Amino acid sequence: MPSDTDTTFTMELMYRRSLGPVVGAFLTGLRDQRLLASRTAEGRVICPALEYDPDSGDAVDDLVEVGPGGVVTGWTWVPEPLRKHPSDRPFAWALVQLDGADTALVHALAADGPDAVRTGMRVVPRWADERTGHITDIACFVPEEG
Amino acid sequence: MAEDTATEDPGAPVRFMPQLIGLDYTIKTNPVAAAFGAALADGRITGHRCPSCQRVYAPPKGFCPICVVPTGEADLVEVADRGLVTSWTVLTPIQYAGQKEREDYALASILLDGADGTIGQQRLVDVPLDEIRMGLRVEAVWAPPDERVADDRGYGLGSAVSGWRPTGEPDAPPSAYQEHTL
Amino acid sequence: MRDVAIVSFATTGPLPAVDDTETQMLFPVISEAIERSGIPRADIGFTCSGSADYLAGTPFAFVGNLEAVGAWPPISESHVDMDGAWAMYEAWVRLQHGDVDVALAFSSGISSRSDLREVLCLQNDPYYLMPLWADHGSLAGLQARAVAEAGLVDEVVDTVAAPPASDGAAAVIMVAGDRAREVCERPAWIRGIEHRSDPHYIGVRDLADVPSAQVAAAAAGVGGGPIDLAELSAAHPHEEVLLRRAMGLADLVEVNAGADPLMVAGLAHIGAAATAIHEGRAGRTLGHAASGPCLQQNLVCVMEGTP
Repeated sequence: MPSDTDTTFTMELMYRRSLGPVVGAFLTGLRDQRLLASRTAEGRVICPALEYDPDSGDAVDDLVEVGPGGVVTGWTWVPEPLRKHPSDRPFAWALVQLDGADTALVHALAADGPDAVRTGMRVVPRWADERTGHITDIACFVPEEG
Repeated sequence: MAEDTATEDPGAPVRFMPQLIGLDYTIKTNPVAAAFGAALADGRITGHRCPSCQRVYAPPKGFCPICVVPTGEADLVEVADRGLVTSWTVLTPIQYAGQKEREDYALASILLDGADGTIGQQRLVDVPLDEIRMGLRVEAVWAPPDERVADDRGYGLGSAVSGWRPTGEPDAPPSAYQEHTL
Repeated sequence: MRDVAIVSFATTGPLPAVDDTETQMLFPVISEAIERSGIPRADIGFTCSGSADYLAGTPFAFVGNLEAVGAWPPISESHVDMDGAWAMYEAWVRLQHGDVDVALAFSSGISSRSDLREVLCLQNDPYYLMPLWADHGSLAGLQARAVAEAGLVDEVVDTVAAPPASDGAAAVIMVAGDRAREVCERPAWIRGIEHRSDPHYIGVRDLADVPSAQVAAAAAGVGGGPIDLAELSAAHPHEEVLLRRAMGLADLVEVNAGADPLMVAGLAHIGAAATAIHEGRAGRTLGHAASGPCLQQNLVCVMEGTP
């Protein structure tokens, strides 16, 4: 074998992450088609649920249900999805502020093109058929009908 | 992971999350390793002699990490394909998926004649495991020329040498290896 | 605080895909920084490096990189899995202890051997964002739109492309007190160096603002006098706009921005800002480093030529 040839390899690492009571509850909620948020001492509702208040660092364990619909607060178009992206068709990454939440969730938004996406549009989750307690239990968001 | 989810109540809280991280790499063989690999394919083991301290590094690095001076083709030397065992360990292969080893085997650090550092994780062959010892003189069993694949990063000898067998010479004295044991 | 100055700097600059190992790439850069300082290698009391093994796919590459330093007999050293600017920060803290006068900080990155659009996903929130493989170019696109919709720039773009990956290395020598004056005609005295981070999950951030850069800049004393030159780690034009606003540099004419090579850019910007002082081109400069998606983490270093 010529020694000056580039060598390719794939490094694979399989993790099993423990989730804890807050992240675990959020992902359990996704499996059950419910969207949970954490509510800080100041009353700020954070979705997806975080174990801490990003403003103060204080622990947060008060969970409330939000959504399922929400508003796009930011987005960017992906004309050529990468192989690991959650969609093999062009899509948008969107920041979705679910009804009742004060922060945004990052996920894929299925749309016909960048012209069909705008900040402020209403969207709803499209649930995956098989849900295991994972962020991809939401297959993507889609524009709200009507 | 599969066990956990299979045995748990499907309505139970989710406590763990599997996460597969797979990343693809393309490694370029650096020029020093490429020259070393070409020599290996030719049945030769080469090194660089530090122009400052005279230590011979085989495989070569392209520099002396102790004197911190660069080395190059002007410093090229050939070392022997024989030397002595400075240290070794016997491995008992656990039969995990993908394991190709079935029997206990030994890996050794070898100090080649003419080199100042050992080459690690070299397979010992044609020697009973309970007869391996520090100072044992060994020689390379070269792989067939078309099977000599160098390590692309210049570590070790790749698959160029399939193992090291005793030469039958008297053992080297401790003074020959006492500076090279871990 | 102890007076500490950068007295020398060396870098490869951004390189296209290198053949060399990371250690081979570092070797001449570290030697050049040391030689420029005029200080014997043996006088270096502390060494800190910055790199990420995920880039080149070589586990414990950061240990092998020490072979480019001269680490035998054993030296006092440390490593951060970040841009070399954070290695420099650690070395600066070490010099503040007072028992060591000379420190080496260096960093290296080989991005050409992997796909950064995948590798950099590993720095994202591991539960909610990483599993979606949201690449850094896409996340920069979210921030670019946020900046545009906040009215901070004129043009709104639908898609932001990630900049090309490059390889490289950089090194600085930092010296405390009178020793710095002895070896360098115009040392770049570090007047303030601070780093801060915004929350990990980008959905809780206002992407049209960078509070961590603002706080770090204020803490580093940016506002204490006019800045002649700012060297910013900004991969995209909208990042430069955000950083200028956050650090109070909106009207500054001389800004040099760019964010590659990964792991090196921040230290290289600080080194370039120091060099401007060494060469008498500037009296007060700023070097900046960023890390994470959407300018999540920011380090600001303010340097002055007057003792």
